[in-house]
Amino acid sequence: MNHLDIAVIGGGLLGSAFAYGLSTDGGRVGLIDEGDHAIRTARGNFGLVWVQGKGLGMPDYARWSLRSAYAWTPFSEELQAQTGTLVEYHRPGGFYVSIDDTEFADNVARLKQLRDEAGDEGYDYEVVERAALCEQLPGIGPDVPGATYCPHDGHANPLKLLRALQEAFRLNGGTYTPSSRVTTIRPVNGGGFEILCEGGREFGCEKLVIAAGHGSAELGKSLGMEIPIFPVQGQVVVTERAQMTMTYPTNYVRQTDDGNYLLGPSARDVGFNDETETTTLRDITRRCTTAFPHLRRLRIQRTWAALRIMTPDGFPVYLQSEAYPEAFSFSCHSGVTLAAVHATDVSRWVLDGHIPSQYRCFHPERFDVPA
Amino acid sequence: MYRRRDPISDSIIIWFCDRRIEAAADDSVAAALLAASISCFGRTAVSGAPRAPFCMIGNCFDCLVEIDGETNLQACLVTVREGMRIRPHPGNGFGDDGEKGEA
Amino acid sequence: MTQDTCTDVVVVGAGPAGMTTASCLAESGVRALLLDEHTAPGGQVYRSVEKVTDKRPADLNVLGSHYRSGSKAVERLHSSGAQYWPGTSVWEISAAEEPALAVGVVRDGRARMIQAGHIVLATGAMERPTPFPGWTLPGVMTVGAAQTLLKSSGLVPEGRIAVAGSGPLLYLYISQLIKAGKKPQVILDTRPRASLQTKLSVLAALTVDPASMFRGLGWMREVRREIRVRERVHRLRAGGVEKLSSISYESCDRQFTDEVDLLLVHDGVIPNTWLAMSAGCRHHWNVQQRCWVPDITGAGQTSRQSVSVVGDAAGIIGADASVLHGEAVACEVAACLEGKQPGVVGNAAHPLLAWQHRTLRRCLDQFYPPAQEFELPPDDETVVCRCEEVTAGEIRRVAALGCVGPNQGKAFTRCGMGPCMGRKCGVTVSRLIAEHHGLSMHEVGHYRIRPPVKPINVGQLADLETDADAHTD
Repeated sequence: MNHLDIAVIGGGLLGSAFAYGLSTDGGRVGLIDEGDHAIRTARGNFGLVWVQGKGLGMPDYARWSLRSAYAWTPFSEELQAQTGTLVEYHRPGGFYVSIDDTEFADNVARLKQLRDEAGDEGYDYEVVERAALCEQLPGIGPDVPGATYCPHDGHANPLKLLRALQEAFRLNGGTYTPSSRVTTIRPVNGGGFEILCEGGREFGCEKLVIAAGHGSAELGKSLGMEIPIFPVQGQVVVTERAQMTMTYPTNYVRQTDDGNYLLGPSARDVGFNDETETTTLRDITRRCTTAFPHLRRLRIQRTWAALRIMTPDGFPVYLQSEAYPEAFSFSCHSGVTLAAVHATDVSRWVLDGHIPSQYRCFHPERFDVPA
Repeated sequence: MYRRRDPISDSIIIWFCDRRIEAAADDSVAAALLAASISCFGRTAVSGAPRAPFCMIGNCFDCLVEIDGETNLQACLVTVREGMRIRPHPGNGFGDDGEKGEA
Repeated sequence: MTQDTCTDVVVVGAGPAGMTTASCLAESGVRALLLDEHTAPGGQVYRSVEKVTDKRPADLNVLGSHYRSGSKAVERLHSSGAQYWPGTSVWEISAAEEPALAVGVVRDGRARMIQAGHIVLATGAMERPTPFPGWTLPGVMTVGAAQTLLKSSGLVPEGRIAVAGSGPLLYLYISQLIKAGKKPQVILDTRPRASLQTKLSVLAALTVDPASMFRGLGWMREVRREIRVRERVHRLRAGGVEKLSSISYESCDRQFTDEVDLLLVHDGVIPNTWLAMSAGCRHHWNVQQRCWVPDITGAGQTSRQSVSVVGDAAGIIGADASVLHGEAVACEVAACLEGKQPGVVGNAAHPLLAWQHRTLRRCLDQFYPPAQEFELPPDDETVVCRCEEVTAGEIRRVAALGCVGPNQGKAFTRCGMGPCMGRKCGVTVSRLIAEHHGLSMHEVGHYRIRPPVKPINVGQLADLETDADAHTD
């Protein structure tokens, strides 16, 4: 039995961010992960660190995203300094490009509504008509009516981020244990938990963080935590490397530091199916080439399908077990944007032993409100 | 690197960058270029290292070229045509002479 | 307008296995469409056989009688009634979860989907990756590549040539080269000292299939008589600026450096499993042949109901056995389409021949083991992923970080994310990770292969029309 102060279950973007944040405090932190062939949502991330458009119906979420966007700068700098791995975070602002008039009108209306809801605490944005777009987004397609720009938006390399988080975690003395799917969590009389894994490994810990992606629901149940999550499939098309021409990330397309373009997004309700599908991929390329026709001549290097961890309203689900307050669970689909606050704020909540009341808005009890 | 066993009986002209090359009408692009002693078909995306065909059966992708404006073609799988204009694959930004070129 | 085409069976790959399967199906009244990315049938072993027979018949003497016999399968294909699309590459097989089975192809620069009842993958074999320092230099090629150039364009290497590795193809090619009037400077044999087991296996093979063995041993003897051979070669390195100019290596405790213009390497062949893996077919690690092979029941049925594999793609069996296998798989698929039980198939059609081939193959595997240093490159500086230029050292580093499989390794290093999709690095990466963690290859697994399996451009995919579009218009 391995003894830990804090066990984090799940080695994806959330779990790794928590493990890293917790490991800066000096205790024995263990990150328990599945193997190479599990669902691994973290591998299918687009990489936006995004604020605009978020929080319709919950201004707190918009604020949370904005807070994270600004925490990203020191967060990424510390990670890079410690590990030498560049996470390629840039915040030049981002464009939500619309490919037809309806989308444009809807988007502008949405942002206005968000601003009205948030009042003084709303974030900056501007509506950019087509003519002005051509300079910042060279090659923008002739059918694009316009876009909205938000200076708080940016992007990063999610795979490098995952690697850096795990490297820093280890450097801080954390232990990473892969190929250890958790089968049972047993609360111990007097406090703490026993964690049993497939293959026989066992861990004992004082505190527990469940960040196991789709696996969280089942694990949380045994500790009385109801975690309403379900899969929403997203596919991504990745092109070969090309000359750097796109410095701003957009909702449809972004160009990585290596020169590849990522094309998205998509959403399908297909359960735990993580296979790509031709028409979806094709429709992604159609929308993205309407936005940026010059992408047409690039080779598709690879495609991805990954399963977002979605909640009923799309906002995070953060909670602490009532019966076992040393157990926490955190789930969301914005693992990249929120990585900074996960590593800093949320890790602090776990160390302090409670989630501050101002973040009660993320508790799943909000779904119990009768219609 | 390679020479022809027999003289070309049905020759055509193709171009690799500015170089005029005599090829056999049923050569693959890769064979025609190798027979003309071209030892650099393109450069890698990461470091700009020179590459030439390695496997000749469509598995290594070191022979990717641009032909008559169409990109991402494997030279070992495409048959030459009269007047064909071949260039190193531009995707990675390393130009004909190994310098990072403008788009 | 819909771009779809419908057929009963799509066969991918026009080598001996694919040609035979398609021919056999068509002859029994099944609609078969044979797709191949090359412009002429023959696969690799019979590459350009029609053209050579027609236009360069003198080369048939160089290439040998076995090569010449490839014309039979080509003639059968042409008279069988099977539809044949050369110059067509397959970039996708629709996922098992989708309602209809479809094959995504690129032909004449356009992408289209072909609906089918069943797919047979005859994607053949490819050379085992041989990473060593300098192997990415222009001037380093596979023996198969050189042989392809000889077959398809009558090209012979110039200058000082070294050939490194082991395997029957190595000796076959050199004997063809000698007949074509060119001798390599040196052969670098990477095999370890022959064990008793190896010597016994040769004896066994001689009794099982004397014709093939004498032929193979004949090439070897003839070649080794004419050309200097260095034994038990290791620490091979290629050097040069912009292209190969020299090699260095150790042999029998001595250090050598040779100036060369061309280095040809070969370390056996392994099944080309990329399409089968992308289609979600289960694979396992064949310990004897040191490669991934699909899980097969019956003659060629994979774990996915509508996908079969035939020939070398199912496990290395060679050209002659591939023809037999093609007939067996065709019968099985035809029965399957009719909803019948295939009955006793597999190689039951020719059980003795099949046994003979299998036994010979086992002996060859014993006699030509893959080189240790190509499997597990000792130098950290060796580039393992040619496309992304990721070194063995980098893979070892992420294995130490906790990567227990090649997909996590891919996520952390970009290894396997280039255009070859891991064809040239996948096995090496899995081996390095397995070695670090003391795991078996089976436990480590292989890359998850996603479409596109062959190149397709963004514009080509955007322009793809499917049946669904026709209905919504």
